[in-house]
Amino acid sequence: MTLTARDPRAAFVLTPPVMPLERRVRGYDRPLVVLALALSLIGGLLVWAATRSASGESFLYRHLLNLGIAAALMVAASRLDARLLRLFGPIVYLASLFGLLLVIPAGTTVNGAKAWIRLGGGFELQPSEFMKLGLIVGMAVLFTRHDDRGDDAPPSTRDIVLALGLVAVPLALIMLQPDLGSAMVLGCAVFGVLVMAGAPARWTLGLLVCGVAGAILAVRLGVLHDYQLARFTSFRDPNHDPLGAAYNYNQAHIAIAHGGLFGKGLFHGPQTNSGFVPEQQTDFIFSVAGEEFGLVGAGLIIVLFGLLCWRGLRIARDADAAARLVAVGVVCWFAFQAFQNIGMNLGLTPVTGVPLPFVSYGGSSMFAQAIAIGLLQAVHRRSLT
Amino acid sequence: MADPRRPPTPRRLGIIVALVVSMMLTLFVRLYYVQLIDPHKPTQNAGLLHDGYIVVPAPRGLIVDARGRPLVTNTTAQVITVDRDLLQQRSDHGRAVLARLAVLLNRSASELAKEITPCSPKVPAPCWTGEPFAPVPVATNAPTATVLAISEHREQYPGVAVQTVTLPSYPNGSLAAQILGYASQITTADKKSNSALNDADSIGVSGLEEQYDAILRGVDGKQIVKLNPQGYTVKLGGSVAAQQGNTLVTSIDLGIQRLAEQSLAKQIADSRAAGKPATGGAVVAMDPNTGRILAVASYPTYDPELFVGGITNANYGALTDPSAGTPLLNRAIAGAYAPGSTFKLITSSSLVMHDEINTTSSYSCPGSVTIDGRVKTNFDSEVLGDITLRDALGYSCDTFFYQPTADEYYTDQARIDRGQKAHEYLQRMAAAYGVGTAPGVDLPAGEQAAGSYADRETRLARWKANRATYCEEGRKGYPDIADAADRAYLTALAKENCTDGWRYRAGDNADMSIGQGETTMSPLQLAIAYSALLNGGRIWAPTLGWAVVDAKGKVVQTIQPKVRDRVPVRQSLFDYITSALDFGRGWSVSGAFAYIGSKYQNRLGGKTGTAEVFGKGDTSWLVTWGPTYKQHGHTRAKFVLVGMVEQAGTGATAAGPMLKRVWDGILGTNRPVIPHARPESVLPKIAPQVKVMTR
Repeated sequence: MTLTARDPRAAFVLTPPVMPLERRVRGYDRPLVVLALALSLIGGLLVWAATRSASGESFLYRHLLNLGIAAALMVAASRLDARLLRLFGPIVYLASLFGLLLVIPAGTTVNGAKAWIRLGGGFELQPSEFMKLGLIVGMAVLFTRHDDRGDDAPPSTRDIVLALGLVAVPLALIMLQPDLGSAMVLGCAVFGVLVMAGAPARWTLGLLVCGVAGAILAVRLGVLHDYQLARFTSFRDPNHDPLGAAYNYNQAHIAIAHGGLFGKGLFHGPQTNSGFVPEQQTDFIFSVAGEEFGLVGAGLIIVLFGLLCWRGLRIARDADAAARLVAVGVVCWFAFQAFQNIGMNLGLTPVTGVPLPFVSYGGSSMFAQAIAIGLLQAVHRRSLT
Repeated sequence: MADPRRPPTPRRLGIIVALVVSMMLTLFVRLYYVQLIDPHKPTQNAGLLHDGYIVVPAPRGLIVDARGRPLVTNTTAQVITVDRDLLQQRSDHGRAVLARLAVLLNRSASELAKEITPCSPKVPAPCWTGEPFAPVPVATNAPTATVLAISEHREQYPGVAVQTVTLPSYPNGSLAAQILGYASQITTADKKSNSALNDADSIGVSGLEEQYDAILRGVDGKQIVKLNPQGYTVKLGGSVAAQQGNTLVTSIDLGIQRLAEQSLAKQIADSRAAGKPATGGAVVAMDPNTGRILAVASYPTYDPELFVGGITNANYGALTDPSAGTPLLNRAIAGAYAPGSTFKLITSSSLVMHDEINTTSSYSCPGSVTIDGRVKTNFDSEVLGDITLRDALGYSCDTFFYQPTADEYYTDQARIDRGQKAHEYLQRMAAAYGVGTAPGVDLPAGEQAAGSYADRETRLARWKANRATYCEEGRKGYPDIADAADRAYLTALAKENCTDGWRYRAGDNADMSIGQGETTMSPLQLAIAYSALLNGGRIWAPTLGWAVVDAKGKVVQTIQPKVRDRVPVRQSLFDYITSALDFGRGWSVSGAFAYIGSKYQNRLGGKTGTAEVFGKGDTSWLVTWGPTYKQHGHTRAKFVLVGMVEQAGTGATAAGPMLKRVWDGILGTNRPVIPHARPESVLPKIAPQVKVMTR
């Protein structure tokens, strides 16, 4: 039992860290919920389309089951008192860090990255997904510690250095797995929080330059050995890539390119039905939308993500300092991960394994994202009261 | 910079909004382009399935002798393969099949499972380095019982197949093993240097197999497999048959080769029975008129079958073990030995051509000569009085050559004192005969010895490089050596080397004149030098390969030995030397001892050598040539034979009888091994290849 703030109507009773029941529905940002749900349901259809010919309905059912669990997690998270972030931040951060460490001795390797912890009953947990959440909340707390200087005061150099240290440990662990995609998403979310926290331009621009230089250096050094560059593009999964590093992308590109304006229709995509695109229900789910729903359907997914981010940023605008950082961090996370994932489907970004938020099949990512949406709701409701 | 009085929040939020909007817009624009505008949309050009290729390694070409008899052929072997795709499709992922197979092969199932898993950054060795869809060989040369067990119970072994592969085979056992060399598995380095190579190929890494690898390797075939998008085999497609490599015809004559090896082995046994160590030996037979090599024997030898399908570390260790005589070493071509008196051909050439002695005058052959205060004796301190060069060669007098070569040294020193360059006639003549230069035979460069001799320049260079070591050893005085006398000797030597090691002395020149000191040659180099004696002075870059014949039996390339050099010796001196060393002179020619009384004594000539080796028994040498005939009044011979036995005593006692047995074979006293007693001059007809299907 955690000690929490007291309810004014029951002065001497300790209450659990959740909202009273009668306030459960009040103050929800309904469009945000609707957008996330819409993406998840579209995701269900796409997962079904992608796996129907090989595995029947089993992936669809599990996606829906995941959705149910995710919904419950979202509701629970939304009922947390946003003021308690200060308490929860370190807990989520440390728990995720523990999970990442646990992966090293006890993890299972899926598609080349040792990133999963097997839970039994066919369930697996990917700590790096929860680390995104933990790090965003952790940094939000860190940057708003100094109430005496005012919530909006820009972080000091000491804070930024501390924050970067906080990021470096999980980032290194994730790179070790190796999961380049998750590491990049983590980096972008952290960058968003730093910008929003008002970190001086020399820090934000400096980190940006360092990041770009680091990436160029990595590719340049990789160019020295052909296989390293190929490994970068097929970083996540060398085994399913027997025809060269570009196979995944080429097949996804073919699928999307022939979708046209309205698509081939649900369950009528030849690329999807013949299983040409490896990992189509997870990282390449967008190619199903592109082939079967065309520009209209696939564009809708991008629009839905745009709207989702808009609602998130609206919440950020109205929130207090710590909560605003959480909201911005979550939005940056979703936005960049969506960009990274759709981008690799469209050949804009290198193939690194990250799922499309809400849409891709996969429990851990969906749960973490649901909790994030729940946190946004909690922030939103806190702003209303 | 931000205005310190105004919170940066709205502007910062603006940045975030801008970033998000730009990302979403970028995606949308790209999607729009890919789906509606892109004029070059990619198409699924592979249809529903795409092709994978399983390489069918080409059988290597044959190596045959000068009459078309096989030295290396191909044989077929049963290989058991496992198709991982088929196993994976089973409910237990093939565990039961692997377990049954493991029992049959007497191996562990987990080991088999590891072996058939394709390698990847996450899968360490042992793993399968080939294509993921290709069947993995798990047992080569499987016993018939195992093959039958699998073929008779196919239902028990789904995914397990028995394939036939070709492997090299040696119908004559260890015959000419070091010359033929061996082929081995492709390594990463090989693939880097030749991208056309495939893991399934083998590559020649020694001997003729290496030298003529490109000719012998052939062109790999392929089996096309239809793969689904996940990379699993759906069905087999067409196939392209492998083309066997071309046939290499060599100038090796199987008959002489076999005779030489048998005689060498018998001599080793005989010498050992006589109490000599006889650690190894070599025989070379060469055609002095064409530069073709007819036989190359080296003892100890080995069974080349050891290399088929990969040699074990233990076996390889045994083949390269010095205590076992390093059987892998081809002593005839890669070995360098003090040539002893056989070197007197070169010394005589130099002394006469530079008018330091002449062929008519007599010079003394005392029991010993003192040079720079050191006494140098004849073999057994023999005293022959005043003799001509003819007898000095025939009886092999050492002291005869000491005086003029020491004089040559002093003349050179006088030139140096006058500020002129030393002539070093003896060294120049040795170089002209090929000493110090690799013979350029068609074998890998690392498998032919260049031989050596000492001169002023190399002596000085070596001293400069090693002076520090000599001086240090002289100071320390070899504390590790127990024997006081040895210690004192080595210490004195090191001290002398420290101060005077650069000095080339008269004694060094005298040593060289009788093929001792730092003079070394390979048996092949001696054969080349004596070939020059019998062919008017031509130094061959000799060859083993004669022709390349393609699959249809057509000659596509003829390999011609090249004349590398001509020795600066007049024909009359060659004639003088051949007549001096004619076995018809009987007891006057030391090389003739083993041949006196034989039918063909008058048709041969030869020179013995007994080379002293520090700390070891004498190397026994004999160079012979024959059957001799006259051409334009000059002596010519059809063969030059060089025999060498390590630590076996004098040339007449070991190498003499050894070569006699070979001559008996060639000249038909026992059983003629070679028709008309002359080297084959017409290429054999090679029958067109029979197509060998390996799959």
